[in-house]
Amino acid sequence: MRAITKIKRLAAVLLTMVLGFGLVACTDAAASSSGKNGSFRTVDEIKQNGTINIGVFSDKNPFGYVDENGKYQGYDVYFAERIGKDLGVKVNFVSTEAANRIEYLQTGKVDIILANFTVTKERQEEVDFALPYMNVALGVVSRNDKVITSLDNWNKNDSMIVISGTTAETYLIENYPDIPLQKFDSYATAKEAFENGTSVAWANDNTEVIAFSLQNPGYTVGIPSLGSSDTIAPAVTKGNTTLADWINGEIEGLEAEQFFHADYDATLTATYGSEYKESLVVEGGKVK
Amino acid sequence: MSWEFIGKYMPMYQRAAVLTLKIGIIGIAFAILVGLMSALVLYYKVPVIKRIIKMYIELSRNTPLLVQLFFIYYGFPKIGIRLDAEICGVVGLAFLGGSYMAEAFRSGLESIDKIQEESALSLGMTRFQVMRYIIFPQAIATSVPAFMANVIFLLKETSVFSSISLMDLMFTAKDLIGLYYKTTESLFMLVMFYLIILLPVSLLGSLLERRLRYAGFGN
Repeated sequence: MRAITKIKRLAAVLLTMVLGFGLVACTDAAASSSGKNGSFRTVDEIKQNGTINIGVFSDKNPFGYVDENGKYQGYDVYFAERIGKDLGVKVNFVSTEAANRIEYLQTGKVDIILANFTVTKERQEEVDFALPYMNVALGVVSRNDKVITSLDNWNKNDSMIVISGTTAETYLIENYPDIPLQKFDSYATAKEAFENGTSVAWANDNTEVIAFSLQNPGYTVGIPSLGSSDTIAPAVTKGNTTLADWINGEIEGLEAEQFFHADYDATLTATYGSEYKESLVVEGGKVK
Repeated sequence: MSWEFIGKYMPMYQRAAVLTLKIGIIGIAFAILVGLMSALVLYYKVPVIKRIIKMYIELSRNTPLLVQLFFIYYGFPKIGIRLDAEICGVVGLAFLGGSYMAEAFRSGLESIDKIQEESALSLGMTRFQVMRYIIFPQAIATSVPAFMANVIFLLKETSVFSSISLMDLMFTAKDLIGLYYKTTESLFMLVMFYLIILLPVSLLGSLLERRLRYAGFGN
């Protein structure tokens, strides 16, 4: 009797293990079939289908957010809508978080990511970027009573807020490994925690920390530009050249009407004024 | 599959597993305490407190842990209560688990026929003795399957801790995917570590179930 139950139990354990491995094997297969080998939709397929899926942020005012009427708004969204219009298709906005952006492209959940996506060498190995449409660097915001202007001589008891999957996280891990990071998985929770005083500073794209300090009195961007200056560009699944080429043509074509200046006026002026217009906007994919 | 990557980030998963276990164990211990006390209050039908406990159970069972954690971590500081993320995790787990444990213990306590209590009392045992020697041992044995299911459920619920910036297993995997885009390796380690934590718990559960199976009265 005893021996039989033992064998049964062993069998159960083994079965669980096998199922576990099977699950992993499945994700493995899924990743290789739809990701790197490319299960994406070409421009023609998107046109035929009549709907394009574009991944944007839903909580990052004023770049990509959902307003009080449930409508997507912001600098990225303004461009996304123009893409839909010029392609002649409906735009289906897919809400994304920073750490999901590459996954969403590799698994074919979206056709384009337009979510404040900074171009980096590591990311270029995983996805294809089109021409840039905005400049960006990193910035650090802190409270007025204790403005942080340098990351050297960091007090080890203080933590810095970052959002998981952002360039700020990568930069700090590589360049300041001793700074304790408090990681959050969304912009909204990071903002909430920072306002609650969980950490002394918050590192993110400088556009975002500047926007935060302008919208919330009591905070100062002590470090307005950290690390190298980068660009923000639309991204498509690796190998989806027809779509990338189409977006490049679109961005170049929109230069004549100064589309991104109009985009800035419509979506960013309320937050930044016109002070940052020339330094932020990239027109026609040409970085000055 | 890059074994080099797995080797390099194994310590991160180990730290995450320790955190998951630490918060899990402390949280569940408090949940058992809360559950036991609530079940006893309900069993003895203590006036007024009984009502409060019933309200607590409904509130806690009908809201998701994620919402409870948001309340504790992001809401409480607004009224001046600032708790460390780890303590929030423990409090959240105890709050959610307490009601589940209470129901598990209650089912055990109520399965014991009233006649046993009455018989013991008529033999001259005190109320405490009746509980300690007659009802409790039998009730516990009946509660064990539900109790173990709760323990496993609560350990798995720790995967929502990422929303309050706790570097648990789930967040570690998500973070690594976001940082280095090694999806397969990160998810593989995630599944393995959850199995390493949860398989022994299930086995321990069935062992406990056999050990505690006293012969109940009348069967």
